[in-house]
This record gives sequence, C-alpha cells and structure tokens, in this order.
Amino acid sequence: MGNGVYIAGAGIISPLGEGLAATVEALRANCSAIRPLELFPLLRGEPLPVGQVRGVDESSSLPRTHCLAQIAAMQAMAGCHEPIDAVILGTTTGGILTTEQLLRDKAENKELYRYHGLNSVAEYVAGEIGCRGAALTVSTACSSGAVAIAMALEMLRSGKAKRVLAGGVDSLCRLTYFGFHSLQLVDREGCRPLDADRHGMAVAEGAAMLLLTTERPDTPLAALLGAGLSCDAYHPAAPHPEGRGALMAMRAALADAGLGPADIDYINLHGTGTPENDLAESKAVNTLFAVPPPLSSIKGATGHSLAASGAIEAVVAALAVSRNLLPANTGCQHPDPALGLIPLTQPVSQSVAAVLSNSFGFGGNNGCLVIGAPDRCPVSASAHVPAGLAVHGSSCLTGAGNSAATLSLLTQGVPVAGMADLDRISANLSPRLVRRLKRLPRMTLSLAIAAHEDSGLEAKPSAVFMGTGWGALSETYDFLTRLAELQEQFPSPTDFVGSVHNGPAGQAAIMFGATGANITASGGDYSFEQALLAADLMMKEGDASCLVLGVDEGHQALSPLLDPSIAPGTPLADGGGGLCLSRTSKGSQCLVRVPFYQSSATEGAIDLLIEALGGVQAVQSRYALVLAGIPAAVRGEGEVQLARFREQSGCKAPVIRYRELTGEFASASAVAAVMAVSFLTERQLPAGEEDGKNAILVLGLGPYLSAMEFSRP
Amino acid sequence: MDKLTAELKVKIIDILNLQDLSPEDFDENARLVGGELGIDSIDVLEMVVMVEKDYGVVINSQEIGEKVFSSLAALAAYIKENLPGSST
Repeated sequence: MGNGVYIAGAGIISPLGEGLAATVEALRANCSAIRPLELFPLLRGEPLPVGQVRGVDESSSLPRTHCLAQIAAMQAMAGCHEPIDAVILGTTTGGILTTEQLLRDKAENKELYRYHGLNSVAEYVAGEIGCRGAALTVSTACSSGAVAIAMALEMLRSGKAKRVLAGGVDSLCRLTYFGFHSLQLVDREGCRPLDADRHGMAVAEGAAMLLLTTERPDTPLAALLGAGLSCDAYHPAAPHPEGRGALMAMRAALADAGLGPADIDYINLHGTGTPENDLAESKAVNTLFAVPPPLSSIKGATGHSLAASGAIEAVVAALAVSRNLLPANTGCQHPDPALGLIPLTQPVSQSVAAVLSNSFGFGGNNGCLVIGAPDRCPVSASAHVPAGLAVHGSSCLTGAGNSAATLSLLTQGVPVAGMADLDRISANLSPRLVRRLKRLPRMTLSLAIAAHEDSGLEAKPSAVFMGTGWGALSETYDFLTRLAELQEQFPSPTDFVGSVHNGPAGQAAIMFGATGANITASGGDYSFEQALLAADLMMKEGDASCLVLGVDEGHQALSPLLDPSIAPGTPLADGGGGLCLSRTSKGSQCLVRVPFYQSSATEGAIDLLIEALGGVQAVQSRYALVLAGIPAAVRGEGEVQLARFREQSGCKAPVIRYRELTGEFASASAVAAVMAVSFLTERQLPAGEEDGKNAILVLGLGPYLSAMEFSRP
Repeated sequence: MDKLTAELKVKIIDILNLQDLSPEDFDENARLVGGELGIDSIDVLEMVVMVEKDYGVVINSQEIGEKVFSSLAALAAYIKENLPGSST
C-alpha cells in the first residue's frame, strides 16, 4: 500500500479569529464576521461588507498576505521539530495590496516591490519555518488552497516528501474588492449562501495551513483521504450551469479516497452566495448524492477568502472530524427551494467519519478534498507509480517570432530577445476568440495550439499546467490605472476577470475542452519548472495528453518595477514555451523529468543536485549540453553555483547561458526547454552521439536550484 | 436611425473589441446577448459600466438587464427613458 497522509497540525487565521480554538468557538456561535470594509479608505461611497481579519500587526514591513500566511504557518508548525520537505501555497493576491498603494504613490524604488510576486509568500514562509525544499505556489483563483493541498497529497503519496506544509492565503485588496463588485457578485446585505434571496458573496481574507505527513502522529487531527481536480472548460468567470466540473471534481475526490457517496457524513460546500455558484453546485450535489448528507457553507460567516478559502475549509473539515462539529450555513434564512438542498441552520454536534470539501474558482478550476477520521476510514492509497512524462510536441515564442523563427536563430546561437509581436502572436488565433484577451492569454493560446499541432496527436489535451512569473500584467495594470483615474468608479469587469493568474490556462482549457486538472503555478524565475512539477504530480494516466506552458509578458510600466532582473531602461523581452506531454513514450520526441528542485541555501546543495542526477559518473556520461538559467539579478550567485556544479561533477559538456539569447523574463526557462527538445530531435547536439551522450540538462540557478532533464527514449 | 443608436454601435464595437463588425453591419434589432456576436455576461457588465459612465443611467438588477440588453435598440430605448432629467 502507498503512503497514507495525516494532518499532524493545522493553522488558521480568518475573520472568525486566530487559531483552532477561536475558530471552533466562532463556528459554534453561528455568527457572521462580515462587516463593512475598514482596511483601506475609499474615495467615495459606503464600504461594502467584507470578511476582514482583525488584529493583524499593521506595522510590519511585509505585505498583509505574507503576515497572514506566517501566522497560520507558525500555528501549524507548533510542536513539529522535523524538517519540512516542501511548502505548497495557494495565493492570488501576493503583495498586491502593497503594490496598489505604491503605484498610486508613483513609487519607483524597485526594492519596495520585492514582495509583489505570488511566489514570495511561499518562499517567505519556507524561510520562516526553515524549509530548504521546494516552495511551490499555486494560483487557481478560488480553488488555490484546495489545489495546493491536493498537490501536497500526491507529493506525499509518491514518496517524494515525508512532511509538507500546504495551504492557502489571500489578503483583501482593491483589485478583488472592486473587481468582484464590478461583476455584480457582491451582496450589499452580507453573504447568504443558499438563501432564496441571496445576492452574492462577501470578499474576504485569511490564511490556513495543514502540516501533512506520511508518518502517523500520535494524535492526528484527521487524515487527508483524497482529492479531485477538474476544469469546467466553459467560461472564464461563470460556473458551468449544470455544475459539470463541480460534479467531476467531487467524483474524482471520492474515487481517489476509495469512498462512495454514502460514506460522506458532511459536505462543506463552496457556497459563495452568488446565484450562479449555489445553483450549479446544488445540481452537482444532487446528481452525485441520492440523499445528500448534512451540508453547509461557512461563507456566510467568514466571507469568501478566495485562495485561502479551500485551505480554511479544509481546516474546518478537519475540525468537523476531530471535534464532532458540523458548522451552520450562517446567513441563510430561507433556503432556496430551487436548489433542492437543506443546509444546516444551526451548528450540530455529531460524530463524523468523512467530509467532502468543495472549492471552485474562476477559469472553471475546481478542487475537492476528502478529509476523514484516521481510525474509521481507509487511509492508505494504492501505491501505483505512474510512467514518466514524454514530450510529443513543443512550441515557443520570443521577440524573433514563432517556433521556426526562434529555433533557427537559437540553434546558431543568435539572440532572439525582444517583445513578441502581438499581430504575429495572434496569427493562429481567430479575432472572435481573442477579442477580450490581452497579451498574456494571447501568447498562451498561441503556444498551446502550436504545441499540440506539433505533437501530431489527434486527441486534444485534457489537462493544462501553466507557469507564469508575473501573470497578466496588462490586465492588472489597466484595471488598477482606470480605477485610480476614475476615482474608484467604473472598474472594468473584463480586466478583472483577465487579471487572474489562471485566466490564460482557463482559456486554453475552454479552447481544447480540457476538463482534467488545470493548474497555474507562479514560481518567479522557476515558474515553468513548477508547472512541470505540477504536471508530473497531477497528470493522470487517463489523460490523453497535457499541455505544460511557461509564459510571461513584458510590460512597459510594471516589468521594470517588479522583475528584479529587468533594470529600468533596458529593452523588454517576453514570450514563452509549451510542451505537449503524455505518459506514453511511444512515438515521443524525448522524455522529460524534474529530478531536483531545492533551496540553494541547503547545505551541500550542489552535491545533492549531482546525486539526484545519478552521481558524477552519470553527469559526465549522459549530458551533451547544459542550458544554464542565470537571471541577471542573481548573476554572481548563479555563476558561482554553475562553476561549483561543473567542478564537483566533472561535467565537461558545453554550457549555454540561455538568458543571453532569450532576454530576461521569468519563464525564459520554457524557451530553454523547447530549445533542448529541438536539439535532441534535430540531432544537433554540440557533442556527437558517438560518445553516447543523449541528454540535455536545463539548470535553474539562484535562490533555488532546479534541474529539468530532457533525454532520448 | 437616431444619433444615440449610431453612437452606441461605435461604443459597443470599441469596448467589446468586435473588430470584424462595422457600425453599418451592426443590426440594432438583432439579438445582442447570446447571439451571433458571442456577447456574454462579462460583456453585459462592461456595457453596464459604459452606460452608467457615459449616460449616467444605472442598470442594476439582473432581471432588468436581460430585457435592456435584448437588442441594441432596446438598450437605446432604455437609456432614453432613464436619462437623468428625462420626464418619463
């Protein structure tokens, strides 16, 4: 049997309070914490009701998201003295609340923006708890927290980690406050999920973390039994009206846990309080459950804390199991008869063996978790190791143009750096398809189509994994600029929907009808590597194929402020790469794996890297070429690491510092990956085949050390 | 065709980026939402914002919204009826 996964510790900070005890007390009291916004001043109008966390230290120099994450992480880690192998966090806001103010103040000091990136939250938390393993960031809008936990579950089951800290966090900010309002999704009366008179959600904030382990603790809070992901592949913001994706994710989670609908004792609904979500979710629940078990949404009490909500509700599910507490559906006075569900109107004390917790987000990104009592549920999953990943097609975009134009220059060592031409990017996209899409989603779709075409595979990809360091900068900038210029009136709904990091991957899913896992990772300069790691963990063998994309856009105003490798005044570069993968090596162009991803602060990190690659002998005999990713901001550190790697491994393969060719942008490593595939398939390796070298190593250097390996089958 | 209708055609083509549609080809009586143009709920909200910003006419309720955006002609009629200072 494979590894069972236990919840050894949990941390939570939400509008209900800080810590498990305060949360239990608030849930038992069945009171709403939703109040008019106080966190930032408004230029006009009455503040809307929100779920705001009280008592956060306002004097911290860190963004609010980071502070919330740190509080929850420290609680979850209390009493744990063992090293943590990985941190996986879901977030959509990162440091945006701070950035919004800096942009209004026209601050130009780059240093002030250094906690903007979504990845900075997970990396900060990893530093605080002394984790030297991977710090991964998931951004799938309102399912981020649940998806992060689902990834942690697979990482633990596979044996790649023994202890993982996973969860979600978001702070209130102008982007989400005005954004959801622009979509007319905010209820001015507070939030009343499942009520006949419901008018929407209350935007909220918070953080929750689970300390997950494969070693059964003496007194586990609960066990993480299963997870299921899906994508609606229907609309960028609205749920599928029949709850198609919701149903798929719930089914997948139950199957993953080895349970049937009758085994579920309580459902913690996504239940945002918007007319559409609650209707779609009720249809899915009523399809799956002949007689639904007790159920409720806690968002009438907490509000909707976006990326944190899936993690907060995972903690609530664990509390249901460990404290026999079924929370009430706070705020619902008259259940909507159209939903056919009877939510709990009062908290109930009842023994619970297994809980299903739902999270659904923009982009149709759905994640469901099953959490249960360790002694009453099957904790161990089957120990099935899936086959590795094989590359069937690839594509890239750079300042030089599409794959053909880019690769013909790159193979000659000629730079391709520059801003990809928007008309050329859109050449393979219909005007109707892209009329609402700005730079990042257009590049993403263009790459997705080209990678799939290159694969020659008839079946369309059923899962999408995307990495982006900075997300949709154009949409984010346009939304915030217009908001400020028009005195906080008339925010653009289109720009808000487009501003979420997972928007482009959601668009790709709609285009291909890809209803499998859909994960957007945001790992700074390691974003593509993180997307590839996510694909390796989450792509099912049933998936015909999947896309792994790495894309970033250059933005005149924001890139020089946000990206530490882009000095003010230097010409911008952007683009990305895409791979079409399956778990079948037959007919593939090459194989790919990610054997290493760790903090470079790890003691003996270079030795560990060499060991993960198979040792000195393997490194010397296998690699024909090393593509080294050294971002300008960490050039000194990166060069030292590269020199040490070559010296300690005796690797004599030629090195290409690919950013000298691609220019500086976060997902440049995606272009390097496509370069590696091209070198292998076109048989243009600098070192001849006669010496048996048939692999290319793509190294990521700097604060983290990462290795992607491409090899002939 | 009145001035408001002509003006709305240009504005909607612009804000919804309907590049392949010219104002001359924009049938004000054709189904606007869910029709051939592929206009959906996000576009409706974008038009709601435009109508409020440029004409001072607030369209809030979803039920009214559906009628108001049934066609461009219906939208023009609603704006005329509800212009600030109009007698109706």
